[in-house]
Amino acid sequence: MTWTFEEMDRMFHPRVVAVVGDKKDRDYMWLRSVSTLKGKVYSVQVNPEEAANIVAMGFPNYSSLLDIPEPVDYVIVAVPRHVAPRVLEDAIRKGVNGVMFFTAGFAETGEPEGIRLQQVLTDMARKARMKIVGPNCMGLFNPRWGLRHSPEQYYDDGGPVGFISQSGTHATFFSLVGYQHGVKISKSASMGNGIILHADDYLDYLGQDPQTQVIAMYLEGVPNARRLFHLMQEIGQRKPIVVWKGGQTSEGARAVQSHTASLAASTALWQAAVRQANALWADSFDETLDLVKALCFLKEPVGPRLGLVAMTGGQSVVITDAFAKAGLQVPLLTPRSYQELATFYSTIGGSYRNPMDMTPTSRNLDMVRRVLDILARDDNIDAICYEFNMGFSAREGMVERLVDLLGEFREAYPRPFLCVLSAVHREAEAVGVRQALAQRGVPAYPSFQRAGNAFRKVWDYYRERRERGATRPAPAPAGPVRPG
Amino acid sequence: MSTQGLLDTLRREGRTILTEVEAKEFLAPTGIPIVPTRLARSQREAVRIARELGWPVVLKVVSPDIVHKSDIGGVKVGLTSASAVARAYREIMQAVRTHAPQARLHGVSVQKMAPPGREVIIGAGKDPQFGHYVMFGLGGIFVEVLKDVAFRLVPLTPRDARQMIREIRGFPLLEGQRGQPPADLTALEQALLGLSAFLEAHPEVQEVDLNPVFAYPQGCVAVDVRVVVEGGALASSAPSGGTP
Repeated sequence: MTWTFEEMDRMFHPRVVAVVGDKKDRDYMWLRSVSTLKGKVYSVQVNPEEAANIVAMGFPNYSSLLDIPEPVDYVIVAVPRHVAPRVLEDAIRKGVNGVMFFTAGFAETGEPEGIRLQQVLTDMARKARMKIVGPNCMGLFNPRWGLRHSPEQYYDDGGPVGFISQSGTHATFFSLVGYQHGVKISKSASMGNGIILHADDYLDYLGQDPQTQVIAMYLEGVPNARRLFHLMQEIGQRKPIVVWKGGQTSEGARAVQSHTASLAASTALWQAAVRQANALWADSFDETLDLVKALCFLKEPVGPRLGLVAMTGGQSVVITDAFAKAGLQVPLLTPRSYQELATFYSTIGGSYRNPMDMTPTSRNLDMVRRVLDILARDDNIDAICYEFNMGFSAREGMVERLVDLLGEFREAYPRPFLCVLSAVHREAEAVGVRQALAQRGVPAYPSFQRAGNAFRKVWDYYRERRERGATRPAPAPAGPVRPG
Repeated sequence: MSTQGLLDTLRREGRTILTEVEAKEFLAPTGIPIVPTRLARSQREAVRIARELGWPVVLKVVSPDIVHKSDIGGVKVGLTSASAVARAYREIMQAVRTHAPQARLHGVSVQKMAPPGREVIIGAGKDPQFGHYVMFGLGGIFVEVLKDVAFRLVPLTPRDARQMIREIRGFPLLEGQRGQPPADLTALEQALLGLSAFLEAHPEVQEVDLNPVFAYPQGCVAVDVRVVVEGGALASSAPSGGTP
């Protein structure tokens, strides 16, 4: 069964949402999550005590979906599993656009009753051509529309990142943690057992969604792996796709079975599919976020040659190792750059071969900008990474000025610019700096290794895309950096 | 025998594993060079085929019931004369009578010994979720111990074939070390693409092993091959081995 863009899009933009079975035990999290909806929210709850609380919260409550006095687009179901088929029956009769089952206890339990009930839901939905999100999931998140699956998620705001997840936890935390890094969601789907809508259906939709420019997926096992693969190949030429695959070990595959009741294909084949589709492979939550952040913030890379700026000699050595180990280059600069640097760079304590060791000059912001501008003009350099070291830079109230300077440089420099935020002993302050940099479009990584890895994978993606003859024109050759 | 004829035979005889002679004929449309191998049903025929193919030759027992041919003495290598072939034939027959008297016996395969080259392995399988895939690696310990192999889903593009060969850690050995000329990488790429196209036309194929394939400075040749097809009506479910 495939779905049109319009059918899926309507489900992500419901004008009327009904929440069935929310309750005090879970602090009415579903009603609170959708209270921000750009549309109307109804509750369906038969328990009089619960109903009274819900009405007191300001939500109209009915004892059946069928009693709601207007058409309903999206139903959030949080009832015990044995009631689920009856709710679905009502939803089908009501003619709703889509149904999300938070309800769990189906095939993922591996026990006969769960498997039977899941089959009942599947058969009913197929027959009625009804879109089902889940069961055993957190459902959809469209922040601009105020459709959420956690009261902690943001709304009236959104970004370019589409996220598809076979785990509700990863979907929730990717949105919340991502936000702390300046990574905002366009649309996300926690799909659970995926009895009707699966990863391929959501990918098909996000591929066509104009608000989505970067896609990340947390996958465990996919029944329509072939269709997913073909969609990845097609969409990956336009929008980068990050794949984080759970269940890579045989132990992990067993956990997959009891999580979403899906069969995990071998990791080697997933890696093959990812390479053939020119998607980006991620091994963890952190790496997924690192890559998505780079894809959102970095200007398109044109080459693997880094100009590195580090605060001391020791940092210069290890940042170079980290980038070289990631398969990137740290070349010497052009003679012209060295001539310019020699006019003002103190050779005592610092070195300016590449990396630029800022030891003697790190507190002189004019010097920082001069060094960055020289790197920007250098023909041997394709991208710049700056070490923002909290141990040195957090003094003398220079943090804000340095953030502004780096933000301005990022605007002016036509190629990728990234930061490593060495928090050292000032971790708490570093969080604010990271967010301030993110607001200026500068991705900040917590280590040289993570910065090097993220840049390498993003560079590989764009290089491969260009070599495969994508339509996007090659960026113009680097000119002089505009002042300010 | 036509492909359909071969599949009909397999179905009739209730088997899914092709004999070596059948498998080599079956894989001919891949365009992959395969060491010429012919079936001899008598000692005299074995000698005649050996003379036609040229020396030295290898003799192997051909039976759908004997999987580990060398374990029972069913393989004789390095035969350089008619008398050696005749003797080898008799010894193989004796070995089968002793160790596998119930086995269905097609005869003995005669093949020319290929000059040694760099050993690579080319394989294919069918995954329940992803369908057909192709595998490439260096032969011997590289595949067995180090698992140094690359996979791609069918269909392969020329770029996929090129990249998967370069993806294995042992790739520098194919480029040539210590003055050794490079292996014919184009021939290996063509082999992978030929196998991919073949699999697209043959959904019934469950498993293919071309192991070893000798890669030369010019060209390559598959020495031994193994093919398993789906049981179909026989509904043989679990494929054996070959999964990544």
